[in-house]
Amino acid sequence: MRSGPDIPSLVAGLAVLAFGGVLMLDAFAVFDLSFAAFGPLACATAGAILVANGLGRRR
Amino acid sequence: MDVNDTQGNGPDEPTAEQPTAEGPQAPPPGPPPRRLTRLRTDRVVGGVCGGLGRYFNVDPIFFRIGAVALIFAGGAGLLLYLAALLLVPGEGDSAPAVPGAQGRNRGWVIAGVVVLLLFSLPFLIGGGFLLAGVGIPIALLVGTGVLVWWLVSGEGPSGDAGDIARRAILGIGVIILCVVLFFAAGLGAAAGPDWLIPALIVVAGGAIAAGAFLKPVRWLVLPALTVAMAAGIVAAADIDFDGGIGQREYRPASSVDLRDRYELGIGELVVDLRDTDLPKGDVPLELDVGIGEARLIVPDDVCVATDADVGMGNIAVFGRDHGGVDIAYEDAPDAKPTRTRVLLNADVGVGEVRVHDNRAELFFRHDFNPDYEGDPEFGSPRSAACESDGQASIG
Repeated sequence: MRSGPDIPSLVAGLAVLAFGGVLMLDAFAVFDLSFAAFGPLACATAGAILVANGLGRRR
Repeated sequence: MDVNDTQGNGPDEPTAEQPTAEGPQAPPPGPPPRRLTRLRTDRVVGGVCGGLGRYFNVDPIFFRIGAVALIFAGGAGLLLYLAALLLVPGEGDSAPAVPGAQGRNRGWVIAGVVVLLLFSLPFLIGGGFLLAGVGIPIALLVGTGVLVWWLVSGEGPSGDAGDIARRAILGIGVIILCVVLFFAAGLGAAAGPDWLIPALIVVAGGAIAAGAFLKPVRWLVLPALTVAMAAGIVAAADIDFDGGIGQREYRPASSVDLRDRYELGIGELVVDLRDTDLPKGDVPLELDVGIGEARLIVPDDVCVATDADVGMGNIAVFGRDHGGVDIAYEDAPDAKPTRTRVLLNADVGVGEVRVHDNRAELFFRHDFNPDYEGDPEFGSPRSAACESDGQASIG
C-alpha cells in the first residue's frame, strides 16, 4: 500500500489533463486556440512536469 | 560551583599551563593535501577527466563532455589531453609519466607542450572546422540522447563509456519514437475528428493522475506530452487535411465555372482568374489549405479585398510580405467603378497565402529580375483596379 500519491505522476497527469481539456474546448469551438496561447501553455505544461520530476528525485 | 567547572576543564584534564608528563599534544592530523592525479578506477582513456572531477569535486562527465567538444571544435582537446597524460602523475605514482616533468625540468616540459600547442593549433582548427560539420551534430545527438534517457529513466550521465553509450542509444531511440509519434498524432489530429486526439490526451492525463495513487505510470508521460504537442500545433494552426494532397491549379473560364470554395490538405493550390470572364461587382472566393500554399492570380483590372489567416508562415498580397505566427491580414478596398472585386477569404494552417496579378506573374517568370520593366505600381499593396480607400490591417 502506498503511503501517499506519487507527486511527479500526479502533477504530470493533471498537466496533461489540463492540456487535453484546452484542446477539447478548441475542438468544440468554445474558443480558438492560437500560437500566442499555445506557446505559453506548452511551456507551462512541460515546465510543470520537469519541475515536479526534479523535485521528486531530490526527495 | 567548582572553579575547574567554570574554566571548562575537569580536575584531571591538563590545561595550557599544566603540560602533561608526555609533553604537549600533537595537533590532530588535517586532511591530506589535494593532489591532481589520473585515476585508475574511474577512467575512460587515461583517467585525466576522472582525476579532474575528483580534484574539483565535480562529476567527471562535465570534463569528458568538454574534452570531446574541444576535440571536435578544433582538436585542442586532444593535445591538452595528451599533455595532461604526460604531466599529471597516475594515482599512487610519485612521478608523472615523463621523468623530466618533475623538479627543474618541469618548466621546460610545460613550455614545450605550450609551444607544441601554439604551432599545431592552426592546423588542427583548419581540420577541426571540417570535422565539426559532422562531429558537432553527432556529439549533440549523443548528448541529447543521454539527456533524454536521464529524464525518462532517471539514470544520470555517469559510469564508464559503455554505460554512457548505452544510455545515449536508448535516448536516441526514445527521440525517434517520439518523432514518429509526433507526426502520427499530428496526422491523426488533422485528418480525423477534431475531438478524437484531445479526448485521448484527456484519458491519458487521467490515467497518469490516477496512477499516482495506485501504481505510477510515468512511462506514459512522454508519449502523452508528445501527442499533446502535436495536436496543439495542429489546433493552433487550424490545419485541416480536407481536400487531399498534391498540386492543384484551377483556371475557370467563366464565373459559372468558378467555385465559391477551393480546399487542399497538403500542397499547392492555385486559382488563376486571368482568363476568367468575371462579372462586374463582388465575387466571393474562399481558399483553404492545411499545409502549403494558396495562390490567387487575378487580371490587372480586378480589385481584391483580402481577409487571410495563416497559423504559421507568410501572407504576400501584391508584393507586400507579412510573416510569422498567427498572422491575420485584412484589406477591404473599394473597386473602381465598373470593375470586378474578388472578396477573398483565405485560410492556411502552415504555409503561405499569395495574391498577385499578371504583372507579378510576369515578374516571377522573369526569374525575379528586379530590372523587369513591369508596371511601376507593382509592389503596391493592392491592385490598380482598386480605389485608394480602405485600410490594410495586420494582426
